[in-house]
Formats: sequence, C-alpha cells, structure tokens
Amino acid sequence: MNALIVIACLGIAAMMSEVLGFKKLLLPLVAIGLISVVGLFVMDWNTSIRYYHDMLYFDNYAIAFSAMVTVLTALWLIMSKEYFISTTSKAEHAALILFCLTGAIVMISYSDLSMLFIGIEILSISLYVLAASNKHDLRSNEAGLKYFLMGAFATGFLLFGITLIYGASGSFNLQEIANYLSKNSEHLPMFVYAGVLLMLVGLLFKVSAAPFHFWAPDVYEGSPTLVTAFMSTIVKTAAFAAFYRLFATCFSDLSGWWGETLAIVAALTMLVGNVLAVMQQNFKRMLAYSSIAHAGYMLMAIVAMNHISAGAIFLYTSAYSIASLGAFACLHALGANDNEKIINLRGFIAKQPFNAGLLCLAMLSLAGIPPLAGFFAKYYLFYGVIQSGYLWLVLVAVLSSLIGVYYYFRVIYTMFLPREEEDGVLPKISGGHKILLTIVAILSLLMGIFPGILQGIL
Amino acid sequence: MILLSAPVDYLPIAMMFVVAMGFVLSTMVATHLLGPNRKSKVKLETFECGIEPQGNSRMPFSIKYFLIAILFVLFDVEVIFMYPWAVNFRSMGVTGLLEMFLFMGILVLGLIYIIRKGALKWE
Repeated sequence: MNALIVIACLGIAAMMSEVLGFKKLLLPLVAIGLISVVGLFVMDWNTSIRYYHDMLYFDNYAIAFSAMVTVLTALWLIMSKEYFISTTSKAEHAALILFCLTGAIVMISYSDLSMLFIGIEILSISLYVLAASNKHDLRSNEAGLKYFLMGAFATGFLLFGITLIYGASGSFNLQEIANYLSKNSEHLPMFVYAGVLLMLVGLLFKVSAAPFHFWAPDVYEGSPTLVTAFMSTIVKTAAFAAFYRLFATCFSDLSGWWGETLAIVAALTMLVGNVLAVMQQNFKRMLAYSSIAHAGYMLMAIVAMNHISAGAIFLYTSAYSIASLGAFACLHALGANDNEKIINLRGFIAKQPFNAGLLCLAMLSLAGIPPLAGFFAKYYLFYGVIQSGYLWLVLVAVLSSLIGVYYYFRVIYTMFLPREEEDGVLPKISGGHKILLTIVAILSLLMGIFPGILQGIL
Repeated sequence: MILLSAPVDYLPIAMMFVVAMGFVLSTMVATHLLGPNRKSKVKLETFECGIEPQGNSRMPFSIKYFLIAILFVLFDVEVIFMYPWAVNFRSMGVTGLLEMFLFMGILVLGLIYIIRKGALKWE
C-alpha cells in the first residue's frame, strides 16, 4: 500500500520536475523510488492487509504481481534513459509512465469492482497519451486515436457488465459477489450471466484476445517503440493479473458456464496470433502478433483455474515480459531510422556476435525452447490445463507453439545472413540497451534453470 | 442490501414518461396547427444575435480557446466534490478536513503545473 502511494507521488514529482527545475535529478529519483518500492512490497509479503473499507487487498498474489510490474518498469527504464535525460523529451513521458504503473498496481490489487474500473482507466488514459506521444508521426497519432476509441468501447462493455453484476448481488465487493453467486447458484437471474459475459468481453478487448484483437497490431506498430515495449509487457502483465483475480475469486462458481467459451477464445487467439505473425515482414508488427499469441497461452491459465494456475500465470507473464523486453531493446537500438523490417537484422551475428547471441536467447525463450524460461512457463501452464481436463486445448497450444517456433527462428536465421549493400550500416547496440539485453538473457536462463522459485511462491 | 419493490411501484415513472412524451408531442402538434405558416429567407438563416452572419463557421481558430475551456471544465468539475464534503463537514471531523486539504493540494499542484507550463499565457 505504501508502495502505491510512493509511486503516485513519484509520478507527481516527475510531472513537476520540469516546471520546478529539477529535471536533472529525475532519473536517479525515479530509479531510487522504484527500487525502494520493490523493497516495500517485499516487506508487505505475507501480511494480506485490506485497505480503505476493503477496496484494495494486498495478498501475496497482488504483492507478487505488483513487485513484478515494478521490476519490469525498472528494467524498461534502463533502455529508456532518453525519456529522462535528453533535452528534447518532456518530463510528462516519465510522469505518464509512473501513472501507468500506479494504475497497473491498483488493477492488480483491487478487491472491489469500482477499483478495477479506476485502475484500468488510470492505466489506459495515460497509455492513450503515450501511444500518440510522437506528435509529428502520423502513425503514432493513428495509434493513439485507435487505442482510445477501442479502449473506450471496451470500457463500456466492462461497465455494463459491472452494472448487471451489481444489480443482481447488490455489491461491488469481490468476496460478497462470490458469496451471492454460490448461495443462489440454483436460481440466478439471467442478467448475471449477461453481466459475466459483458465483463469477459471488456477484459478480452483489453488483453487483445482473438475476436477482439484487431486494434492491437496497428496500435503496437504505430506507437513509439519504447511505449510498445511498455504496453506489451507491463500492461499485459497487469491486465492478466486483474483478469485472473476477477475470475478466480469472483466467478469461479460459474466456471462450468464460461469455461468452454474462454477455452475456445484461447485456442482462437493462439492460432490467429501465431499464423498471422508468420506473414509479417516488420519486426515490430511481428512482435505485436506474437504478443496476441502469448495472450492466448495466458488465457489458458484462466481456463484451467486450479491450484497451480496462479503460479503458472505468474511464471508465464514474467518469462514472456522479460524476453519481450529484450526483443524490444534490440528493435529500439537497431531501428533508429524507422527501419523496423526483419531483414534489417542481416549480418547482425557477424558484426556484433555478443549482442546477437543475447537476442537469440530472448527469441528462444519466447519460442519456448528448453533451457530457457519460456519452456518451463509453457510446461507449467500446459500441465495445469491437462489437470483440468482440457486436453484438446493443450493440443491446439502445442500446435500453435510449433508455428511460433518458425517465425522466432526466422529472426535468428536472418541474423546469420550476409549483410547486403542496400541495408546500410547496422547501428551499434551499446549503453542501456546492451545492459538490458544482458540482464534479460541472464534472467531468462536463471528462470529456466530454477523455474520453481517464481512458480512456487504463489 | 435488499430491495423490496413490486412492478407496480414503477407506475409513477411510467406516468412520468407518458406525461413527458405527451407534452412534447402535444406542443409540437399545437404550434404546428395554431401558428401562421410564413417562410422567408431571413428566417432560415443562422441565428447570430441579430447580426448578419458572415463567412464559413468551419475555419481554424486558435487552440488557446480550446485549452482554456478544457482547463476551466477540469477545475470546475473538481469544485463539485467540495459540496458533499461541505455538507458532511461536521460528521467527518478533522480527518475529512485533512483529506480535503490533500485533495486541494494535488489540485493546486496541477494549477501550478499549468501556469508554469504557460498554458494560460494568451500571447
């Protein structure tokens, strides 16, 4: 809880830093702030306190995910120094990122549907601005507008759902709604089911699952690369934490009713994401489709909903986010002149073998190749789903993972090709991007060798 | 929270609907039938407070108008939160006072921010 206040205050400090003239202190301030926030979360471990009349509930699940998004933001910061020190950038970017993080933590730790809504809005509104933050780029403007329209539309569904659930149960509180649903499970009014379905649609929009994924590639491609990296890692982690929390505490009694629907959505998401990613020539757009496909795998944990699925989704979101950050760091460092094509990677391994090796590790982790984190994340996830009896879903997931391997390996294959004359000079990866890539590779290896550490804490 | 209400309790709302719709319909029909029907070019022109309208209304104008208006709305809406607070001031005690100070403090920070950013500078 204190951590949440610290992050909100950091956001305000970042906003004021430019007008009050301490912009130079901003980066160290934010870095120290985020590290101390992680410390505060660690201190809260095993306390499980409810705050503000049970609006926020910091149990171990919320603390683990909040600490994870904070660590991810800190990692993201390493490659985003330009947001803080360059003279052209505005302090508002930093402030908006910190407000995003505030929203993410609110939507992870909510215990009340109104807090879920407020958290999603704090997160989304900052993101709409960030998506359009490259003012002079038409694609960035398009991304901002598209994201705003689609996000507002999805929020409408979510609110309709919340209203119907409130109408039936008379409460916004997750626990009270769960009690109501289990007590009256024999004769629930029809509009409870409609409410669950509407909330499901709203959340599927937000996590860009298959029938509602059309906004994601355009928004991810148009936004500035750093913002895309933030969206597809930290925001996705927070959205899935909220999604899982809602369905695990609130609607688990109705799982016989929504389980099949969600299983089909998950299967569709994996297939659509992976198949469309194969055809992409643009690295950024390929990562966007890959992020859709990974959303499908994460949805499987919500379908499974058993004693290991909380740990499995935690491991999966961390493994996926960390590997993605590595891929985006490379994309950002190499695509300096809007050159986001995959073939721009030609000759990477000959020119910068160390960096290329690190990118290889990140790609292998995303594909789910054994010694790396991605493999064990998938393993635990699939295991949980089989335990819950959805064998066909696991078969679809394995099949689509195989498709995924193809396009992740295409990136690695392109790195080995000789560099052509028309490709121009490959920028050198150095500084923050290199540090981040190294950290990403080490973490992916460590999480692959000791996956039980993250999986076991929940 | 238990709501004991029968469908018959909603009868006043239904009557309200009927009255509202009936008033709109009857006045429209009545004015149509009673009033003299004289059409002229002047009557069809855009109403500009008696001044003759000129030019196209679809023209670019300074973003400052928009900025000032949106900032006004922002701070105007925030003040609404003070009314329920003022009504419940006694029962909320010192805690309520401190909470409102915190809220107003954040609001003032926002005001300082927009002033220092030059959002209110007209020239």
